[in-house]
Amino acid sequence: MSEKVEIIERKEIPHDKVMLFGFPDVGLVGVIAASHLISELNLTEVAYMNSRLLPPLIVLHEGLPHSPIRIFGNGSILLAVSETAISAETIYDIMHSLINWGRSKNVRMMISMSGIPVQDRQDIEKLKVFAAASNPEMLKAVQDKGVHVLKEGYMVGPQAIMMQHCANTGLPAVTLLAQCFFNYPDPEAAAALLKELTSITGTKVDVSKLLDKGEEIRLRARDVMRRTRQEMSKMNKTQEYDIPLYVS
Amino acid sequence: MSTRRRRSIFEIISEYFENLEEWTERFREALIEKPSWNHRACTIEPLSNIMVTPTEVIVTVDLPYAEENTIRVKPIGRDTIEILAKMKRKIRFDDLGITHYKGEFQTLHCQIRIPVPVYTDKMEVRFKRGILEIHLFRKRGHEIPIE
Repeated sequence: MSEKVEIIERKEIPHDKVMLFGFPDVGLVGVIAASHLISELNLTEVAYMNSRLLPPLIVLHEGLPHSPIRIFGNGSILLAVSETAISAETIYDIMHSLINWGRSKNVRMMISMSGIPVQDRQDIEKLKVFAAASNPEMLKAVQDKGVHVLKEGYMVGPQAIMMQHCANTGLPAVTLLAQCFFNYPDPEAAAALLKELTSITGTKVDVSKLLDKGEEIRLRARDVMRRTRQEMSKMNKTQEYDIPLYVS
Repeated sequence: MSTRRRRSIFEIISEYFENLEEWTERFREALIEKPSWNHRACTIEPLSNIMVTPTEVIVTVDLPYAEENTIRVKPIGRDTIEILAKMKRKIRFDDLGITHYKGEFQTLHCQIRIPVPVYTDKMEVRFKRGILEIHLFRKRGHEIPIE
């Protein structure tokens, strides 16, 4: 683990689980999905990140301080979530530390939850969810579940680092990307992603409350989205719209 | 044939300072952090976005809880539009879990500067999935003939 990042465990961490990631990105899809998973599955905080790489802030819940990056869990999954936008300068160390920590707990698979922005999002009735995987076996496994594969393109942000690091270290990993708004919190996209997550992990999640509270989530998430936009711009997030030059 | 009046040095300097003031104001707006709500005016500032295409400028604004028939889009000056919408219900800080501030909000409000010249007197507006979309048509500039 990077010396700059410390992961402090609050509880005994179960081994051989699936580890999910919900970090601020386009449409805040991952964070909204993660927040819904925490409340629906009654996940509790099992560990948190302590690092000088994080901005000088704490998140207060019920008057008590919490790290902006925490890991939640239950008997079947671990979920890393960030309540603040992560800067482009620190994202490598932060993601590598989380992945290495997951490896130390013999995590069997990592899944990053995020979005893929589409310009005509307002007009799309049924949102598609795409997947990319760290190795051919994982790619086939998600294809067999009926998830669309993101065949060509660029990926920018926390999920890009996760995919690369997992591919380098031989850890099976999948990134799920729901079609979403680029700049606006998108609870519908988070709901679409959670439905596909069920098919991959078997963890059933009711998304009806998430859809019912859509407007409230959009209102609450404005400030996180605003800060995330600033960091996405520094990361050249719009490169995901680019058409790649295929080098064989 | 129309003749163009030559501008005096004072007019040029005055215009220069006006432009400088406008740019300073834009930088100030971009750099100085402020809350996304105005407790005195009881307004919440929604998220917005601007896209410039060769023929039009498309402004979108995310308007959660907006009552569709109360949405107003008003031009302010030559390069700014104002968006106002009443919310379906009053939102208090308490509703958002915030107990150290007091106040309630019932209007979404923002002003958006348009980065290129547009006709602000004619625009197309639609509201779908809680997102307001405004199409403003660009003013044509001087075209350089290709020889």
